[in-house]
Amino acid sequence: MKIVVLIKQVPNTDSPFRVNGAGTWVDESNLTFGLNDYDRYALEEALRLKDAGRATEVVALSVGPERAATALRTALATGADRAIHVRDDALTGADPLGIARAIAAAIKDEGFGLILAGLQADDDNYTQTPGLVARLLGRPCATAVLKIEPGDGVVRVERELENQRVQVVEMTLPAVVAVQTGLNEPRYASLKGIMAAKKKEIRTVGLAALGLDAAAAGGAGARMKTVRLSPPPKGKGAEILSGPAADVARELVRRIREKTGVI
Amino acid sequence: MAWKALVVAEQENGTVRDATWELIGLAHRLAGEAGGGAAGVKALVIGHGIDAAAAEIAGRGAAEVIQADGEALAQYTCDGYDRAIEAVAQAEAPDLLLFGHTPNGWDVAPLVAAGLGVPLATECSAVAYEGGRPLFTRKAFNGKFVQVVDMGGARPAVATMQRGAAAAFAGTTAGAVRRIDPRVATLELKSRFITIRKGEAGGVDLSQAPVIVSGGRGLGSAEKFSVVRDLAEALGGQVGASRPVTDAGWLPHQHQIGSSGVTVSPKLYIAAGISGAIQHIVGMRGSGFIVAINKDGDAPIFGVADVGVVGDLFEILPALTRAVREARG
Repeated sequence: MKIVVLIKQVPNTDSPFRVNGAGTWVDESNLTFGLNDYDRYALEEALRLKDAGRATEVVALSVGPERAATALRTALATGADRAIHVRDDALTGADPLGIARAIAAAIKDEGFGLILAGLQADDDNYTQTPGLVARLLGRPCATAVLKIEPGDGVVRVERELENQRVQVVEMTLPAVVAVQTGLNEPRYASLKGIMAAKKKEIRTVGLAALGLDAAAAGGAGARMKTVRLSPPPKGKGAEILSGPAADVARELVRRIREKTGVI
Repeated sequence: MAWKALVVAEQENGTVRDATWELIGLAHRLAGEAGGGAAGVKALVIGHGIDAAAAEIAGRGAAEVIQADGEALAQYTCDGYDRAIEAVAQAEAPDLLLFGHTPNGWDVAPLVAAGLGVPLATECSAVAYEGGRPLFTRKAFNGKFVQVVDMGGARPAVATMQRGAAAAFAGTTAGAVRRIDPRVATLELKSRFITIRKGEAGGVDLSQAPVIVSGGRGLGSAEKFSVVRDLAEALGGQVGASRPVTDAGWLPHQHQIGSSGVTVSPKLYIAAGISGAIQHIVGMRGSGFIVAINKDGDAPIFGVADVGVVGDLFEILPALTRAVREARG
C-alpha cells in the first residue's frame, strides 16, 4: 500500500506576527516557517506503517510557494521516500476548495491506499482540506483520528469525540484520515536522514500539468476571501498587575479572596 | 426568492444536542438582518426512528423540520450523512447552511461543501450581514488574529459555528415536520460505524472542581509542572492542562481542558504558561474568576482573563503559593 501524507508549511508559532498592509493576512516578511505540527503526527503514522511492513511507499505532498520545498525536504529527511510539490504562481490567493482541487488532481492517479493529513493547519486553522479532498475523490474521510489500524482493503480508525469518547469507524480503502495530535510521538530527522534526503526526488508540478487552471483552483477562481484580519478585540480584557513577584502574589490573593471566596 | 437558512441539527440516541438550539437562535437573528422571516428557518435532522427529536425541533424554533430517516442513517457515518445533507441542500437551495463545530459537524461539513462546490467557513464565532452578504468571523493563527471572510456570493454559504456563537432560541414554534427517505443504503457506503466507547477512564473529574490551576507549553517539561501542582495543592484545587501538555505526556489526557478535552467552569481558574488557543478557551471561559500568567503580553488568554500577570511563571507561581499559604495561616 502506498501512502501520501499531505503537509503544509506554516509560520512558526513564536514568529513575530503582524497584519499586512492590506489588513487581509499576516505580513510574511519577518516570519520563519516550519512543518505544521499536526502534519508531523500524520507523517510519523505513515512511517510507522512502513516500518511495520504495512506500507510500501510514503510520499509527502505539499501545495505552496517555493519556500514550501523546505518543508518537503524535512519530510524526506524524516523518512518519506519522495515528494510532490504543487507550485504555481496562479495559486496565490486560492481558497481551500481550490487547494483541495489541486491536491485531488495531483494524487488521483497515484494509486494511494491511504491519504493521511493533520486535522488542521496552525496558520489558517481551517480544518477542512482533508474532507474536501476526500469528497472530490469520492472517498470516505475520518477526522481527529487517534488510532489507525489498516486491514484487508479497509482501515479501522478511532475518531475523537467530546468527553473522552471515541467513535470506531471502518472505511473502505482508499480513505482519507486526518489525525489529531498526540496519537504517536513524531520522530525527528537524523543526520543520516538529512544526508539521504538530498538524493530523494521532489517533483514539482504546476496547475496546467494537473489539467487545472487559475479559475478552477487558483486565486482567480477563489470565492472565499479574507475581508479583514485584526488582533482580537480587547473585550473586557484582563487587568494587568505588575510589580515584584511577592507584591503581585499578595494582590492576587486579595482579589481571589474577594471575588471567589476560595481562600 | 425568500431568504432561507438550513440548520443541520444533531441528535444522539434521540436527544437533540445543545449546539442545535444555538444554530436555530442564530438563524432567527440572521433572518431579521437578511430581510427574511422566521418562516425561512429550517432544520434537517438525520437518524433512524427520531420522530420525537424532529417534533421537539419543530416546537423550538424551526418553521419546518426535514427528518431524513432511514436504517442506514441510524448512526453517524461521513458518507451517509454527506449524501443526506447534500440531497436536502440541493432541493432546498438555502442561503445559509449551518453546522455546529462539533466532531461530527467538522467531519461532514467539508464533504458537503465540496459536493456542492461552495466554500466553507469553519469554527465561526459570528455571522453578520453587510451589504446584503453574510460575513463570517473566525479565529486564525490559534487565536492570535480574528479573520472575517466573505463567501463570494456562494449559495449556500456553508459554515460550522463554534459553541456559544449565538444564544439558544428561547421561544416556541408550531413548525411542520416533513419526513423524507434520502435513499441511502448501507451497502453503498464506504464507511461503517462500529461502536462508540469511552476512552481510558481517569481518576480525575475536573468538570466539578471549584478551583483549577492549569499549565501549558510554557512550563517546558513534566518536572517543572511541580510549580503548578504546589499552587493547586495550596488552594485545595485540581491540576489542569492545555493540549500540548497532555500530547507531550507531561500529564495524562484526563487533565486536558478544551474543545477536545473537558469543559470546566470552576469558581477560580488559573492559567499559567497557556497562550490561549481557541480550543483551550472554549473549555474554560465559563469559569467564575480567571487569572492568567504568561510571559507574552499579547497572548490571547489575557482577552478572557479577569486579572493577568505578564512575567515569568517560575517566579510568580511560587510567590503566589507562598502568599496563599500565608493567607490561609
